Amino acid sequence: MEQNDAVIPRVDLIARLTAIPGSAQVEERCDGLWMLAPQLDVEAMAREMKALGCRLVTMTGLARDDGETTIIYHYARRHEAINFKTATSGGAIRSLAPMLRPASWIEREIHDFFAVDFVGHPNLIPLIRPPELKDGFFRDPDPSSITPAKQ
Amino acid sequence: MPYTIPIGPFHPALEEPYKVSVKCVAETVEQVSVDVGFSFRGIELLAQRREWVPGVTLIERVCGICSNVHSMTFCRAAERIAGIEVPPRAVYIRTIMSELERLHSHLLWAGLAAEFMGFQTLFMEVFALREQVMDLLEAISGNRVNYGMNRIGGVNRDITDPKSAIEIVQAMAKAIANDVVPAFMTSVTARGRMAGTGRLTKEQAIEWGVVGPVARASGVDTDVRDDQPYLAYQELGFKIVTQQEGDVRARVVVRALELLESIRIITDALRNLPSGPLRAFEGMPNIPPGEAIALTEAPRGEVIYYVASDGGRTPARVKIRTPSFVNIPALEAMTIGQQLGDISLIQASVDPCISCTDR
Repeated sequence: MEQNDAVIPRVDLIARLTAIPGSAQVEERCDGLWMLAPQLDVEAMAREMKALGCRLVTMTGLARDDGETTIIYHYARRHEAINFKTATSGGAIRSLAPMLRPASWIEREIHDFFAVDFVGHPNLIPLIRPPELKDGFFRDPDPSSITPAKQ
Repeated sequence: MPYTIPIGPFHPALEEPYKVSVKCVAETVEQVSVDVGFSFRGIELLAQRREWVPGVTLIERVCGICSNVHSMTFCRAAERIAGIEVPPRAVYIRTIMSELERLHSHLLWAGLAAEFMGFQTLFMEVFALREQVMDLLEAISGNRVNYGMNRIGGVNRDITDPKSAIEIVQAMAKAIANDVVPAFMTSVTARGRMAGTGRLTKEQAIEWGVVGPVARASGVDTDVRDDQPYLAYQELGFKIVTQQEGDVRARVVVRALELLESIRIITDALRNLPSGPLRAFEGMPNIPPGEAIALTEAPRGEVIYYVASDGGRTPARVKIRTPSFVNIPALEAMTIGQQLGDISLIQASVDPCISCTDR
């Protein structure tokens, strides 16, 4: 995308990413940069990524044993993928929907699957969850409904 | 007096179930809302209960149009976790299959667009061409919808007669260049029906985060094949097609010109098909603990898979984000201020895939 074209030396890019409040560690992997940030300030991240010309591609939720949810923010910059890995606190995390239109549907879907409360989302209603299921049905599926894979 | 028309979720004008609620004043659209989820199948959750190999078969059923892209992107993510290097011949075969899939998807869409415009002769012409692509896909894979070509570490089938395939796509290239592209680009019917309709400006395209032909038709030059090259796209070269107008016609033109670029890529890949094995290993894959993302340019735009493994027999997490998931919400920006009668054409111009969106 054109707004992503400005060339930023890699060392400067990493410095800007690690300066985001809550960024703890950066890993350079074959599929892009991974920022490990358990206490990430997601709104500060969104502002900085916008300033860098990055596009929010999607977000991934992963259920954790302690009841919290790992949230991965996947961004794309022209020739690079940048991922921020953080977690909810008390089942909640700030919503990016008021700042970023594409975040709205993504957050609604994660709310459907993992019952994450996206604080500040203007319309956190079900997106694709069937009405007969409860929010968070990816987190704790009914064991009786699980059919083991055939061996 | 404003009034609201609910279109769908089950409606003859929609190929798949989703709902568009349109609030109008006279014939002008003032407000739009879109509801999805009517064909939710829980494929992400199901994939986490399947072993890796049957998981590929399941993932291929996310979509009936871009089935190959889904299984391939899932395999690429698993291969990244396991550090598996796919043999060059398999890489080229995946590239050829991806572009044949784009060809049939764009031709399917072009035929439907012609029908929406009331251009029946063009519809027949385009669908006859698409049938040739389907025949070629069937000749290669044995299937017309779910091709079963991809496996973790390579492909299941070889392309045994590249010379015949080249002859078929070259014959198609002539028909597309001489008939289809001019019909969409210069015909008075097409221009009159599409130009200026359903405009999405470049700024709006960036704001809504749209991808694929929808983004490129608004002047946003993004394409995973160029941005983050994979398969054989770097070796074969690739030219992004963009338009600046951002209207329905621009979306048609982008897809029409992409047909020619796909044919060029298929031809070059078939002519330069490397020799060698089809897969990195025989038997079952061993996917160690880890996580990876893989991005692919599907016919409708960028697809991303996040796959995590805990070293077990099944994936620990499979996350799928399809292009329609980000393109459909932008219908709001395209339709407000437009005529009610143009809604079906505008929504069709996004080429929405509800199977992909709902999974």
